[in-house]
Amino acid sequence: MSANAAVPFWRAAGMTYITYSNLCASLVRQCLKEPYRSESLTREKVHFNVSKWVDGKPEKPTLRTDTPE
Amino acid sequence: MAMAALRREGRRIAAPIISPRPINPLRSSIVPSEDQSFLGVRSVSTQIVRNRMKSVKNIQKITKAMKMVAASKLRAVQRKTENSRALWQPFTALLGDLPSVDVKKNVIVTISSDKGLCGGINSTSVKISRALTKINSGPDKECKYVILGEKAKAQLVRDSKKNIELCMTDLQKNPLNYTQVAVLADDILKNVEYDALRIVYNKFQSVVQFIPSISTVLSPEVVEKEAEAGGSLGELDSYEIEGAETKSEILQNLTEFQFSCVMFNAVLENACSEQGARMSAMDSSSRNAGDVLDRLTLTYNRTRQATITTELIEIISGASALEG
Repeated sequence: MSANAAVPFWRAAGMTYITYSNLCASLVRQCLKEPYRSESLTREKVHFNVSKWVDGKPEKPTLRTDTPE
Repeated sequence: MAMAALRREGRRIAAPIISPRPINPLRSSIVPSEDQSFLGVRSVSTQIVRNRMKSVKNIQKITKAMKMVAASKLRAVQRKTENSRALWQPFTALLGDLPSVDVKKNVIVTISSDKGLCGGINSTSVKISRALTKINSGPDKECKYVILGEKAKAQLVRDSKKNIELCMTDLQKNPLNYTQVAVLADDILKNVEYDALRIVYNKFQSVVQFIPSISTVLSPEVVEKEAEAGGSLGELDSYEIEGAETKSEILQNLTEFQFSCVMFNAVLENACSEQGARMSAMDSSSRNAGDVLDRLTLTYNRTRQATITTELIEIISGASALEG
């Protein structure tokens, strides 16, 4: 099984399972044929604001948008 | 004739008793006191009431439109939500949902909306989060917040600023999808240390019913500990593990995936509840606007009628004075 060999590598690269599975999913979406491809690519859109709070103060928010990584 | 005399009489009697500023505007028009009313003004101005009626009518139009928008958005989200329920159910069957688990590092993920005008769903989830903090706080335990949405942030900043770790907003610019929530869940996992993640959201039951709910995701270590202790997780050892992975690796992957799936469902459920709550809130506010409008119309018509009656009386009494 190829997945078994890959496990340590992505984990060692600092990815979580979520990132890994998202990458795989996005690869599968890229492989689709045209009418389905663009339709499924719209389900990949990412957009949100994250701000970390330190000692009760928000830090500058970072915008996560469109394709992950 | 008699009327005019009576009025003159009444005025003479009332003059010292009534304060110079008559409270009733209707009266001031019938008996114009020289220093107050403008010259030639004979009746109450209905301009203000008319303006108010117009504004209430406009508000009603707006709330009706917002209700329509919420209803159409709800339909799309509701379908997604109902489909997404299948995602977390296997996890609950496998790893269980242990809201009563007692661990050191608690992270409470409060899910709320970015926009207001949707009834009490945001305050409910904030209330539940506060209660959870109270239950899970102790001398050697800590409780942190991860907040999704502007509204819960605004409420939680007031009293538990120090405990906020992460804040995420503007989720609903695009229609919600799994990729987005997964990236978000990933961000949460990377930025907080946790033994148990408790996700607070409003579960969508029907358009008028939302149940505040908690989903618990345990860290792999805690899952292992619980499995050893037996209980509902005791059966975990009876599963066969395929391939070369160890159990802790599997558990870590599982927890991460469980978290993103549970988050996906929770975000959708909350979005669905938000639209439902907005729909019913807007429905009742358009109904209220209708009530206000009815009352205003009644007042307006009554005043108008009173003015007409007064004018008629004046004409008739004037005519009879001439005749008599």
